[in-house]
Amino acid sequence: MIERRLKSTSGFYRNYVKKFYEDAHLAKAEKRPVAWVASTFPIETLQAMDIMPVWPENYASVCAARQISVELCERAEQEGFSRDLCSYSRCVLGSMFGYEKELPEGGLPKPDFLVTATCACDTHLKWFQVASRIFKVPLFLFDVPYNIGGGDSDNLDKAHVEYYVSQLEELFAFLEKQTGKNLDLDRLRETVALSNWTSHLWIEIQNYRKYIPSPMDARDAFSAVFFMLCMPGSQLAVDYYTQLRDEVRERARNGIGVIEDERVRLVWDNLPLWYNLKIFEYLNTLSAVVVAEVFSHTWAGGLDTSKPFESLARKYLPNLANSSVQRRIDIISNLVKDFHANGVILPTNWGCRMMSIGETIVRDAVYKKLGVPSLIIDIDSTDWRVAGEAQVKERFATFLETLRKT
Amino acid sequence: MDVLQPLRNSLQKRHEIAGNWKSRNQSVVGWTCTYTPEEVIYAAGALPVMVWGDLGDTKLADAYMPSNSCSFSRSCFNAALRGDYDYLDAFVESNSCDNRGKTYDMYVNYSKIPNIYFINTPLTNTEKARQFFYQEVVKFKEWLEHTFKKQISDESLINAVRVYNENRTLLKKIYDLKLKRPPLISGVEFLEIALSSLVMPKEEHNKLLNQFLIHVENRGDLPKEGVRLLVSGSVMDNTELVRLIESVGGNVVADDWCTGSRYFWNLVDLDGEPLKAIAWRYLDKIPSSFMYQREQRFRHVTELAKRFEVEGVVMFVIKYCDTHMFDAPLLRDELKTMGLPVLYLEWEHSMSGFAGLKTRIEAFIEMVGGVK
Repeated sequence: MIERRLKSTSGFYRNYVKKFYEDAHLAKAEKRPVAWVASTFPIETLQAMDIMPVWPENYASVCAARQISVELCERAEQEGFSRDLCSYSRCVLGSMFGYEKELPEGGLPKPDFLVTATCACDTHLKWFQVASRIFKVPLFLFDVPYNIGGGDSDNLDKAHVEYYVSQLEELFAFLEKQTGKNLDLDRLRETVALSNWTSHLWIEIQNYRKYIPSPMDARDAFSAVFFMLCMPGSQLAVDYYTQLRDEVRERARNGIGVIEDERVRLVWDNLPLWYNLKIFEYLNTLSAVVVAEVFSHTWAGGLDTSKPFESLARKYLPNLANSSVQRRIDIISNLVKDFHANGVILPTNWGCRMMSIGETIVRDAVYKKLGVPSLIIDIDSTDWRVAGEAQVKERFATFLETLRKT
Repeated sequence: MDVLQPLRNSLQKRHEIAGNWKSRNQSVVGWTCTYTPEEVIYAAGALPVMVWGDLGDTKLADAYMPSNSCSFSRSCFNAALRGDYDYLDAFVESNSCDNRGKTYDMYVNYSKIPNIYFINTPLTNTEKARQFFYQEVVKFKEWLEHTFKKQISDESLINAVRVYNENRTLLKKIYDLKLKRPPLISGVEFLEIALSSLVMPKEEHNKLLNQFLIHVENRGDLPKEGVRLLVSGSVMDNTELVRLIESVGGNVVADDWCTGSRYFWNLVDLDGEPLKAIAWRYLDKIPSSFMYQREQRFRHVTELAKRFEVEGVVMFVIKYCDTHMFDAPLLRDELKTMGLPVLYLEWEHSMSGFAGLKTRIEAFIEMVGGVK
C-alpha cells in the first residue's frame, strides 16, 4: 500500500485555519464586528455585511486535533453541563470558563453578538443561549421549519421557504442594528455569487472521487471542507478550490489513487474523529478508501444571484439534520451509486441525537435498495472517552473483512 | 372514602377508556408533545391521549433507537412496538425537540399506527413564528377533517376551548390546595390527577374534578407534613419519583413539568378566530425548555417556589434531554441565588435503577429539613 496525500492540503491548517483565527482576533482588535455563528446558519449574510464570522464548532475540532478537547469538556462538566451533551458545545464552553493552559490560537474572540438557527439541532439554540448569557451579548435565533417532506432544494414546502425568507428580512434588520451599517444588495449578490462558485468547485472536486481508484481521501476532504463552512462567499475559497480541483483532476485522469490496491470504497456519514484523523489511514492499510463523506455533500447548494434570499432558503432548509430520514437515505444511496461504494460507515455521535436516531432505517433502506451493507458504530467526534481506539479499529477491521469477501 | 379513587381509576384504566371510546365508533388520536393543539382533535370528535412509556425495559425499541436517544421517547416507542397503542387511529408528532422530530421516522417505519401526522412547531413566538404556527394548525385541522371525514366547525372549536379552559382552571384550583400546610393533597395525588387529564375525555375529567373539589375539603386523611419541595424537569408520566421523594419526608408542592403545571397554566384567550386563539395559546404558554423563551420558564419556576414557600428544589433531568441539560446549570444558579438548595439528578426514564436515587434524595431532604 502506498498512501499519497494531496499537495494542496498539506499545511492546510497552518495556511488557512490558523490564519482565519488570526484574522478574527485582528477584527476584534480593530473593533470590527465579530459574530459567533452555528453551522447551517446562512453565513453568507454575515460576509455580505463585513461581519467576521467565528464558528465555534470548527474551534472544537481544532481543540480535538490538539488533543485538549477532553480536558475542556471536563471543564464544562465541572460547571454542571452534562457529559451527555454535544461534545462540541462542552469543549467550547470549557474554553470559555477559564483554562489554565494556553488555548489554541489564543482562544475564540469574544463575540459582539451571536447568530444561530434551529436548522440542525436544539444544541445550536441552547448552547448559544448559554454563551449569550455569559457574554451578555444579543442572540439572533433563526427559526427554521423542519423539512418533514424530506425533499431536496427543488422540492421544499412553499410555506417553509416563505417563512425562511421572511426571517432573512428580520435578520438583516438585526445585523443593521448591530453594525450600524445598511445592507448593500449588490454586495449580497456578489457574496452569493462567490458562494455559488465555491460550491460548484467543491462539487466538481468531489465528483473526481468517483474515479477508480479515488484520487482523494476523507482526511483531505475533512480539512478542505473548511471553506464551505466558514467562508463560502469569499475569493479565497474560490482560489483555493480551483487549485485543489486542478490537482485532484490531474490525479484522477492519470489514474493515481490514494492507495495502490483499492479494494473497498466507503461512504462516511456524519463527523470524523477529529482527534484521530489517522483512522482514515488505518482504513487505507486495510485496502479501503473513503470516497465520499455525507458531510462534504451537505453544505453545497446552487445559489441564484437574481434570487439571493430564496436561494439561501433553498440551500439551508434541506440540510439532512433538518429533514426526515428519507432525505438521508436519498443522499447516501446516491453517493453509494455514483461513487461506486461497497460499504457505508454510520458513526453515531454520542451527544448528537439528530445524527444518531434513524441510522437503522438508513442501514436497512440502503441495503434493501442497493445490497450495500452499513456499519453503525458508536463514537464521538470530539470526546474520545466514548470509544477506545482499539475497539474502533477492531470493528472497522471486522466490517471490512466482510466487505472484501462480498 | 378515598376522594381520589375515581381519578386514579381513570389513570389506571386508560387503555380501557380509550377502548370503550373506540367501541362507540369514535376515534382515538395519540400525541407526544404538549404543544399539540388538543382542542382541534377534541373538536373533531376524537379522543386525544398522550402516549407514554412505562417503567420496564425498552428491549424492543433498543433494536432501533440508539442508547444515547431520549429514554422517555424510547420507552414510548417501546410501548407502541409492543402493541399497547394498537387502538390509535392516528398519531401526532412534532419537531419541538430533536428526539421527538427524529422519532417520527421511527413510528413511520416501524409502528403499526395507520395515520401519522407531523406538526411543525416553531421554537420561538415572534410575530412571524405565530403566523407560521397558525398555518400549521389550519393544516392540522384540514388533515383531521380529511382523515376522519368530518367537518370541524367554529362552534365545535369554541366548545372545545371552553371544555379545555375549564379543565385548566380546575386543575389550577386543585394545584393551589398544596399552598396549605400541610398540603391538602400530596404531590403524588396531584400528579395522578394531572396525568389522568391527559388520557381521558376532558368533559368527564371536569366532572370528576368538580366532585373531587367538593369532597377534598373534608378529607380526614391529610398528607403528612414534610419538607416543601419543587420538582423541575422535562416530562413525567408516572408517579414513582414523587412517591420516592414523599416516602422519605418530602412534600412535592410545586412542579415544572410538561405534564404538570406547564400543561394547564395558561388558558386560550377566546377573542377572535378560534384557531388563531388556540395557536397563540400554545406558543405563549409557560414554555418548555426547547423554546427560546427560557427566562419565562425560569420566572415561572422562581415564582412557584416563592408562592408555594418551597424549601428546596429537585431538578430531575431524564436522559438524554439536551434542552433541559443545557438549562440546568443556569436554573440551578438562579435558584441558589434565591437561597434555595438544589439537588440535581440525571436519570434514565425507566425504573431499573430508581431505588439508587433514594439515598441521595433522603440526604438532600435531611439537609434541607435541618436548615429549618
